[in-house]
Amino acid sequence: MSQEQAAEKNVPVIELRHVDKHYGDLHVLRDVSLSVARGEVVVIIGPSGSGKSTLCRTINRLETIDSGEILIEGEPLPQEGRELARMRSELGMVFQQFNLFAHMSILDNVTLGPREVLGQPKEEAEKYALELLARVGVAEQAHKVPAQLSGGQQQRAAIARSLAMRPKAMLFDEPTSALDPEMINEVLDVMVELVRGGMTMIVVTHEMGFARRVADRVVFMADGQIVEEGAPDDFFDHPRSQRARDFLDSIKGH
Amino acid sequence: MSAARTLSMRDALYEAPGPRTRRRVRIGTAVSAVVVLLAIAAVVRQFWVTGQLAPRYWSLFLQWTTWRFLGQGLLGTVAVALTAGAIALVLGLVLMLGRTSGVRPLAALCRVVTDFFRGVPSLLLIYFFFFVPAQLGLKLPSFWMLTLPVALAASGVLAEVFRAGVNAVPRGQVEAALSIGLSRGKTMRKIVLPQAVRYVIPSLIAQLVVVVKDTTVAYVVSYPDLMQNARVLITSYDALVSLYLVIAVIYILINYAINKASVAVANRTGVKIVR
Repeated sequence: MSQEQAAEKNVPVIELRHVDKHYGDLHVLRDVSLSVARGEVVVIIGPSGSGKSTLCRTINRLETIDSGEILIEGEPLPQEGRELARMRSELGMVFQQFNLFAHMSILDNVTLGPREVLGQPKEEAEKYALELLARVGVAEQAHKVPAQLSGGQQQRAAIARSLAMRPKAMLFDEPTSALDPEMINEVLDVMVELVRGGMTMIVVTHEMGFARRVADRVVFMADGQIVEEGAPDDFFDHPRSQRARDFLDSIKGH
Repeated sequence: MSAARTLSMRDALYEAPGPRTRRRVRIGTAVSAVVVLLAIAAVVRQFWVTGQLAPRYWSLFLQWTTWRFLGQGLLGTVAVALTAGAIALVLGLVLMLGRTSGVRPLAALCRVVTDFFRGVPSLLLIYFFFFVPAQLGLKLPSFWMLTLPVALAASGVLAEVFRAGVNAVPRGQVEAALSIGLSRGKTMRKIVLPQAVRYVIPSLIAQLVVVVKDTTVAYVVSYPDLMQNARVLITSYDALVSLYLVIAVIYILINYAINKASVAVANRTGVKIVR
């Protein structure tokens, strides 16, 4: 199914149906169902160990699932091989630890995917990469290696690396959790820009201000389950479940 | 690099010494210097007493032919060591890739081969190549009777060295590569191996030194390496101690050169990985 057809039929970009996963005895995902429409921004919050990161990582199969279904634009997530690699290339992923390729310059980090996976010529890939690096504000760092950048700069470069693949959706797995406080906003600003540009996003985060400002929907997870979900203002001002109330109380600012 | 200040190993492992420790270090240095000097004096005296310093043991080094013969041996050593080292690098890499491939039978096979070559003394492998091909009517040149077993022995170790390097590459690097759509093979080639090799360069150097030292059993197959040629000179001049001393110095210089060269290569491979 082409993108236009999918859009016409209003097929969700990402859909999870009754997903279950165990780590040994630990039931990390319990019957999780979630659907993300084109252009929608879904923020997943919850206490640590609630399964929110795992959920994010199952969507491009960095984690496997025991049962249930994951559909990308209505098609089941491939299990392996070239089809899986292609599907992954169409979903951007941003990690807590940035995971920039340590032995490559920032520019090479961003052009690797376009050149090796999409087969773009070097000049084209570099032109677009520099454009993206400028957009996230690290163009001057293009020829440095990751270790020479601050955490915030690394994470912004990592976002540029994902964008270079022109993904149909982006997954953010706690993108600001490893950052010093003064660098969190520079990364969130880039993400807000993406939201404005209409990117479909799933964001696992502890940044409640960000969630309230940009989320179309907040999903609250605890013990591997989606406990409740709703519009950010509804959720933050009138949480329905006791778990969500306890969680929001526990993180309330000092 | 501003973000990453490099610490010397000493700084990283030990705390800075205080005044009392510094005094102890000074005393220890002085004492050990005296002990070393005494030991050298004792050795020289013993040589003198036993007549090892007599001109007839050393005059051969004034002859051009001695050095030419040793030089030919040195070339032989270098040829075997470089060939064996190159074969071992490739084979070690192949064994490691096979072992980590995830294809069960292949992994098991590579594991057995690796452990076998790692466990069997290289001298035993040399005897194998000396006797077995001959039994089968296969005539191997002495160069290969020496090079192949030395290479095989080293490949087992190098496979493990590479595997350690691959395991040292953080999982996140692989996940990031997979997430932009790179295949497993490309992830290995473009992301994991380049980093793994940088991690293990010191171990690779150490192993090349072992290869050079392994070649000294060339006499088993009568291959004219440095050691074998020295042995020939020893019998013809009846000058055992002096010759062994001189070639020991040559071996030390070779291995010192290997260390220097490898560090230069490592620095030239571009960016160092700093985390």
